[in-house]
Amino acid sequence: MRDMLEALRDKAQQIGVDFMDVRAVEDEGTSVQLQDGKADKVSQYRQRGLGVRVLLNRAWGFASTDGYDRERAFDCLETAVAMAKASQERIGDQGVVAEAAPVEDTVLAVFEKDPRSISLDEKMKLLTQYEQAAVAAGQGKLVNTRIYYGDSVERVALCNTRGTFLDMESVRTNLGAYMAARDGEVRQKGGEHRAEQCGYELIDRLTPDDVSVKAAKRAVSLLDARRAPAGKFTVVFHPSITGLLTHEALGHNAEADLVLTGQSILDGKLGTRIAADCITIIDDGTIPGSWGSFPYDSEGTPSQRHVLIENGVLKGLMHSLETAAQMDVAPNGSARAQGYANRPIVRMSNTFIEAGAMGFEELIKDVDQGVYLTAGQWGYVFCERGQYTCSAGEGYMIRNGQLEEHLRDVCISGMTLETLMNADAVSNAFEMKMAGMCGKFGQGMHVSGGGPHVRVRDVVVGGQE
Amino acid sequence: MDDLLLLAQKACDAAVKAGAEFVDVSAYRGRSLSVALEKCAVKSCDAHWNAGVSVRAFVRGARGWASASGLDETEALNAARNATKLATVAEPDPDFASLPEKAAYPTVEGLYDSRLAELEADELVQWAGGNIDAAREVDPEVLVSGAVRTGWSEGALANNLGVEAASHMTYVNMYVMALVKHGDDVGSYFDYDVGRVLDDFDPAGLGAKAAQEARRFLGARKIETSHMPVVLGPLAAHSTLGMVCWSANAEEVQRNRSWLAGKKGRQVASELLTLVDDPLIPQGCNSSAFDGEGFPRKPLTVVENGVLMSWLHDSYTANKANEPNTGHSTRGGIRPTNVNPKLGDLTAEQIIRDTKEGLYVPSGSLSANEVSGDVSSSVDFGFKIENGAIAYPVKNTMIAGNMLEFLRNLDAISSDYREEPGTVMPTIRIQNVRVAGGK
Repeated sequence: MRDMLEALRDKAQQIGVDFMDVRAVEDEGTSVQLQDGKADKVSQYRQRGLGVRVLLNRAWGFASTDGYDRERAFDCLETAVAMAKASQERIGDQGVVAEAAPVEDTVLAVFEKDPRSISLDEKMKLLTQYEQAAVAAGQGKLVNTRIYYGDSVERVALCNTRGTFLDMESVRTNLGAYMAARDGEVRQKGGEHRAEQCGYELIDRLTPDDVSVKAAKRAVSLLDARRAPAGKFTVVFHPSITGLLTHEALGHNAEADLVLTGQSILDGKLGTRIAADCITIIDDGTIPGSWGSFPYDSEGTPSQRHVLIENGVLKGLMHSLETAAQMDVAPNGSARAQGYANRPIVRMSNTFIEAGAMGFEELIKDVDQGVYLTAGQWGYVFCERGQYTCSAGEGYMIRNGQLEEHLRDVCISGMTLETLMNADAVSNAFEMKMAGMCGKFGQGMHVSGGGPHVRVRDVVVGGQE
Repeated sequence: MDDLLLLAQKACDAAVKAGAEFVDVSAYRGRSLSVALEKCAVKSCDAHWNAGVSVRAFVRGARGWASASGLDETEALNAARNATKLATVAEPDPDFASLPEKAAYPTVEGLYDSRLAELEADELVQWAGGNIDAAREVDPEVLVSGAVRTGWSEGALANNLGVEAASHMTYVNMYVMALVKHGDDVGSYFDYDVGRVLDDFDPAGLGAKAAQEARRFLGARKIETSHMPVVLGPLAAHSTLGMVCWSANAEEVQRNRSWLAGKKGRQVASELLTLVDDPLIPQGCNSSAFDGEGFPRKPLTVVENGVLMSWLHDSYTANKANEPNTGHSTRGGIRPTNVNPKLGDLTAEQIIRDTKEGLYVPSGSLSANEVSGDVSSSVDFGFKIENGAIAYPVKNTMIAGNMLEFLRNLDAISSDYREEPGTVMPTIRIQNVRVAGGK
């Protein structure tokens, strides 16, 4: 493999490209789904292919193909060059690549139990155990149970014209439970999942109480929950939704490619106050085992811990080799590509708000009427307008400093800069369990998020009451 | 194409030999071209080839699934044996009866256009450039991003009951996002065009239209929380009504996790609503002659005068319910095809004029909790309607309710519509919606 990638690189240099990189990606995985008592669906996939990116006369071209066939790999290079030539017709800013020292490294995944060595029987027994525990906790009200297990191993080789050659392996394991409950005409759902970059030892660290029982209890308890209110409230976010809030409200706006193309509301705000004093936001790709971590990004830059906001002041952005060169700063390892068929773009890794000193009771004690949101589900943002949406799986009314009525799932909508300034307290608790997939420009990427409980004034809650 | 079918059949034979009671194999290949736009310029031109094989093997109803990239015969046969092995280990499912048997397929015209298959990147760049120029004529400061994409694919499907199905298709689409800034005030909007054949694709005007619309979103205001009618423009109405068909997915219903479960034959919507899923519309974006399992497609009335008439089935759910297969398999799920509502009497303009105070939402989905049907959605793009006219854009505004309430409160479907290949998209109005505002 290395010979072929280096031959491609040499050929690119002969052609006279400004820059070229090639990534060869091999990915395999297994999943088992148990539903309503039967583990009747078992799947395996294996895929491999390579993607060649070329900067020629300051214009970018990219081509990808399935497989590692040598002839097709060279066709890919030729096509990427043709694509760059086609781009030249209408390029705007000249394509550039920051200077970076070449790196040679092999990084094998760190795990205790290779998931490939665990039999399907054992994985199926695990799911049965999780399901039985959920059913026992479901008070006879569960009408559908789904438990899902998945593992994958990815191997990426990266070679570029700067002399970098990397061989990186990652192993991922995840377990999720999704429950539906019914009482007469009322139907509700609950879901929980855990996902880490590790082997089957993830399972040893978990119990059904953490995943399937939690999902079952939520689905059943929501049958009696009230619809959430509509309007502007003081909202206290649980760490699972703090992670979403951080990712959607701030994170995407701090991706330098969006700033440079005028699509971020943070354009021109570096070094200025954009959040309350209590807000410090970090994106850290170096956390061992976390779902969004990586040793080197998809351009070969080592991953880093980035301080995005420090005590309310915007301190930095996330960069690729190109955006770093455009803004004349050092690349900081945030260029990531999904699989082999995509170009690297600027992405988050593990994004969170740093914890404060306040206890949860203290955080809610001054709230006369507010909403406490938990079980973060999903979110999205229109960066250019700074308008974001986050979904919570459940919540509680806060009345006179106490948690009161249980609330059904609800979304909130906010304006990024208002939310960051209206945050007025963060708790001393910290959780980082929001492993998920982030979508940008059609690419899905492993990310995680979290933080403490955060209190924000004047958030729009989209409830039905 | 013949080589794909031959490979699929060989993999089927290998699975049967390994002990599969039922098996189907899909083999496919394709090429795509795309041009990414950022800041009124081409960011990159990309080309992709992809090919692969996937095998579903069944033993006592248990399903093993294995896939491999590429069309290498050894890999394909290994995938077939692997899938069979997985099916042997998995737990039996007595509800599985059979895969579809060999059948004749209808003809659907206009799913492949050799002119699209032969397009080069520079033609895509020309389309992109023309739209950037036109957007700048509307507003010299506009920032345009987006993409133009085209591609072809061909696939073959075989199963051990004699199904042999082959298809080839092309597509082209362009998406333009325009952004205008006046200081801290930002307006943005998008437009798009799609087609399966070149004659259905007319990208000229997308950039200018997106820029004009983006300017309309300048000066957005927060509004008060209250109840009001919501008028959903063509794109928002299409995604909202489409959700009814998505939720009529028989697998979701049989598994008790659809808000439509238990409601077949019942009035679930206003009498105004009739929804037909038609996969046979010539040149339709979601048209095809057969579904993912090789079952022949045909039109299906899902809702008629507000009554839920049918579930969307694949072979598994149809056999389980002892109902006819409707041919909606994706070979791993169930999904609608081209969903079209019956049109109403008033024009969109008349519906807005008839709305004293309300909200107009041109695009975006009222995403619902798929189990409860509860809706809690942001208005990503919206205008306040005052005295029967669009008054000003809104921000930080949300819509909430329940899909069944919304469908019952549906009181207008327009006679005019936006049309994309296979789909007509009228404007609709829903009365008495909870609107949460940031004011």
